[in-house]
Amino acid sequence: MNQTLLLLIVILPFASAAIMGMAYLFTSLRDERIYSFIGIATPVAVTLFSLILGVQMLSNDTTFVIHSTLFEWLHIGEFQIAFSLMADRLSAVMISFVSLIGTLIHIYASGYMRDDIGYGKFFAYFNFFLGAMLLLVLAQNPIIMFIGWELVGLASYLLIGFYHQESGNITAANKAFIVNRIGDFGFVIGLALLFLAIGDKGFGFDAIRAHISLVDPGLLAPIGILLFVGAMGKSAQIPLYVWLPDAMAGPTPVSALIHAATMVTAGVYMVARFDFLYELIPSVGLFIATIGIASALFAAIIACMQSDIKKILAYSTMSQLGYMFVAVGLGAYSAGIFHVFTHAFFKALLFMGAGAVIIALHHEQDIFKMGGLKTRLPLIFATMLVATLAISGIPPFAGFFSKDAILVHAFAGGHIYIWAIGVLTAFLTAYYMFRLFLIVFITPAKTAHRTTEVGMSMKWPLAVLATGSALTGFLGANEAYGGSNLFGTFIHLGDRVHHVDHSTEYLLGGLSVAVALAGMMLAYLRFGKGASEPKADTPWRALAINKFYIDEIYNALVVVPLRYLSILFDRFDTLFVDGTINLMLLGYRGAADAFGTLQNGKVRYYALYILIGISLLSLAMLRMTRSPL
Amino acid sequence: MLYDLFLVLPMAIVVIGAIVLMLLRFSPWLSVINRNFITIVILGISLCIDVLHYAAAPDTFVFVDIFGHGFVVDTFATLFDMMFLGGAMLTLLINNEYFKSRNYFDGDFFALLLFGVFGMMILAHANELISAFVALEIASLSIYVLVGYNTANPKSPEAMMKYIVLGSLMGALFMLGVALVYGETGSTIIGDIYQHIASHPHTNHTLIAVGGLLMIVTILFKIGAVPFHAWVIDVYHGAPLPVAMVMASTFKIALFAITLRIYLIDFEPVYAVWSQSLQIITALTLIGGSFLALIQDNIKRMLAGSSIVHAGYMMIALCSIGAGDKLAASAIMFYLISYFLSSVGAFGILSFLTAKEHKHLTFEDFRGFGFRHPYLAVMMTIFMLSLAGFPSTIGFMGKFYIFVSAIESGHVYIALLGVFVAFVSIFYYFRLIAMMYFNKDEGKEQEFAFDTSTTLIFLMALLTVTGGIGMGLIPYLPSADGFMDIAREAIGSLVR
Repeated sequence: MNQTLLLLIVILPFASAAIMGMAYLFTSLRDERIYSFIGIATPVAVTLFSLILGVQMLSNDTTFVIHSTLFEWLHIGEFQIAFSLMADRLSAVMISFVSLIGTLIHIYASGYMRDDIGYGKFFAYFNFFLGAMLLLVLAQNPIIMFIGWELVGLASYLLIGFYHQESGNITAANKAFIVNRIGDFGFVIGLALLFLAIGDKGFGFDAIRAHISLVDPGLLAPIGILLFVGAMGKSAQIPLYVWLPDAMAGPTPVSALIHAATMVTAGVYMVARFDFLYELIPSVGLFIATIGIASALFAAIIACMQSDIKKILAYSTMSQLGYMFVAVGLGAYSAGIFHVFTHAFFKALLFMGAGAVIIALHHEQDIFKMGGLKTRLPLIFATMLVATLAISGIPPFAGFFSKDAILVHAFAGGHIYIWAIGVLTAFLTAYYMFRLFLIVFITPAKTAHRTTEVGMSMKWPLAVLATGSALTGFLGANEAYGGSNLFGTFIHLGDRVHHVDHSTEYLLGGLSVAVALAGMMLAYLRFGKGASEPKADTPWRALAINKFYIDEIYNALVVVPLRYLSILFDRFDTLFVDGTINLMLLGYRGAADAFGTLQNGKVRYYALYILIGISLLSLAMLRMTRSPL
Repeated sequence: MLYDLFLVLPMAIVVIGAIVLMLLRFSPWLSVINRNFITIVILGISLCIDVLHYAAAPDTFVFVDIFGHGFVVDTFATLFDMMFLGGAMLTLLINNEYFKSRNYFDGDFFALLLFGVFGMMILAHANELISAFVALEIASLSIYVLVGYNTANPKSPEAMMKYIVLGSLMGALFMLGVALVYGETGSTIIGDIYQHIASHPHTNHTLIAVGGLLMIVTILFKIGAVPFHAWVIDVYHGAPLPVAMVMASTFKIALFAITLRIYLIDFEPVYAVWSQSLQIITALTLIGGSFLALIQDNIKRMLAGSSIVHAGYMMIALCSIGAGDKLAASAIMFYLISYFLSSVGAFGILSFLTAKEHKHLTFEDFRGFGFRHPYLAVMMTIFMLSLAGFPSTIGFMGKFYIFVSAIESGHVYIALLGVFVAFVSIFYYFRLIAMMYFNKDEGKEQEFAFDTSTTLIFLMALLTVTGGIGMGLIPYLPSADGFMDIAREAIGSLVR
């Protein structure tokens, strides 16, 4: 029963994606109701199944793991890789909220994509993504995980370039795919090294965990770093983050589901999955945390100067992912996953709210052309307020508890610099989020604009998510805040534990709240009454507005030299390689023409060739048989 | 006795089916399509029984009191039976549209085809040289007539005449070879010859060596080895497409069935005598075949020329058997499967197109094909890649096993030559691919027509790809390893 459920969770989305894809490709069926029914029924079913599994996890002890094998995939000698799935507490939590939020975004998308020509295609891709993500999470071994890892990348590529009629979108999709390729290269090398080290003892996560101590410690660090390189690409960390802001070219539900709530957190999940590995190499963990906190600060700075609503949210995602890597890097795996969990709610909500605003304003994305929408879009205003408070870390909203857990852990672990930068980033987060919120909803608009009504299917998922953003924080509240860290106890990862006094905890918590309030205050002072687009009047501002010129630097350092190298090789190819081949061909062709003249169509000649052949063979035979055999 | 009858049932069904079809020659209510369908059903029933046999893995002589040890039913023969039957069924199914589009396929065509398949099956089961000869001639005579079936096109009877004249010459040589072997050993049973050589170690077996040579030359002629190849291109060109398909695939497999049986069992002690000559012929075949394939402008003739090259590849493995490599025999069987899939697929697309468009199928006709028929073009590309031996297709694995066998038996130069010829072959296979995709023409994209032919071609393209991947990428579909295991098992039943 459980095994079947587990298989269904992965197979159902793929199956419905295949059905819808076929229907879209081969039939003229374009009825949106059918596609939205199949497209939404699937995640609903998957959510139910995931919750059934999750409830069973609750009532059993921590060793309760469900395994399920579909078929044997690879069989080379003694070694075999089965296509198997595994649900333990960590993956059960992941699939529960991935499918739940996925369901809400599917419902939202059924309104958002209305009257789009590619409606069926969109839902086929969307279900495909969901299946790939669940496969990634439920994989029993890293190979299957890698398949899921690549498939979510493919889905992301397809959906970023969904409006492929515009070349800009295709460029963005290609950029995402290619940058991820670099990360995946590291990931695959890391897996290969791990496989070389202990692959002969079985390559499931259980087997790796059991034998990890056999790996040469000198090899563990490169493995850990290379796996994290994969995470850098997928989860948009420095230096491989450049694709994420551009990925906002996709439809907004895609940004909400893939580039905010689920796929980009795969890197964090992967590190948490390999917690036993990273526990052995704390120095690599510190490296991860450093990259994470640098990304968090860097993205927050850029976000303060952007004017495209989706780009701001994209940088904010990158910034929050940085926090998550701080957590998993410093060994607070459950805190990291908890932030993944709460972040999924409020970031999906922010994106969906932004999408609703964009639709209401007829595809306007520049926040400085919005304003005063509070009265016209009251529900979106209210839900966005909840999400903004949550991401800024104002208690009792969800973001406060998860972010605070990470910062307290960093502080208690003695990583004061990381903690300090984290607090600074929290300040910037509150600032840029309220800047966005105030400019869109409160500040009076400079130009009048017409708004259209947003459909119900786009509204009530927002309400559900707002409830989640407000309340889920309590699941992870620790003793100091009157909870008992239910979330962390449940997922049961190998956390490094630091003891912290309640008084210290209150102090740190109070400080982050104060900092967040200061950020909000600053935003209000600057944008509460009137807002104008940021101008690049000082060098520092110019730097931030232009995203530190990272794209240009990459272009100059990587793309341009590669291009010249290609041109050089091309010259060499046409001159020498082609020349040689053509020369050879010329000779071969001449010989072939000569040989072809033997083929004159006359049977007597053909018989002659045969007789000559036999005669020569007989002569050879005479020579051979002279000596006894 | 009854069990023996059950064992020969597949052959009996085919030959009785042929006779029945012949009796229904003038029946007015049987259209071409119906006859085709009946033939496929006959072959299908026979195939089903053969599958049962294959599962039971029999290894016995049948009707010993009548035929003595002349007629054997073993896994090897059963597997080959299945390949003939499956191959013939596929060929007929794929050509369904083609039969409809031409008016010269009457009742005898299908009866003759069944007789041909019957001959091939007997050939696989023959454990005696005279029976093998008779079986070979049954198959060959049917093919001769089938080649000349399109009387409206003067090329077709001409091809038949060429084939029949040269074929009879070689048939006579085969008989002479059998007589010489009999002269020394006093038996024509396969296995007795081996016994004779083994029990007379210090004699000069000139008669066996020469007799064996003549028999082998006949087989080399049939598979189109240089310099016995000259008929190949003319005959393929003149023959109706379905017949060319049968010759390139099923008939060639049948020839290797008897070759492997004779060669592996009987002539093991005298390999050394032919070794060098065979290597020279192999080299000639590889180079000469690629010459001929290179200069053709007609796709059918190009495929005919390339079939010579493919015969050359299988001869590489034959040389390796001579040098004592036991895996080489299964490499040949694997290559046969791979060549069958890709060549029947390629011919199938040609026949599908000629059925629809009545073209001569030169390279020029494929200009812009990738834009007019995107799906068919993809499949054609897959088949061309497989024929050229591109990785991740079954053709690559086939060549890989062949080259491994050559290197393991020390024939590095032949393996290198094989690689070189494969390199040359890219020129004529990719010429078609380039023609399809790099040249636009004004033709509009056409709908993908779903019918028996295209579905089967699609299936074969799929097998061509999955067969090229060593492991079960797609569950429950045979992979390269699966094919190779089957081939090994069959060879294992032969070498006792």
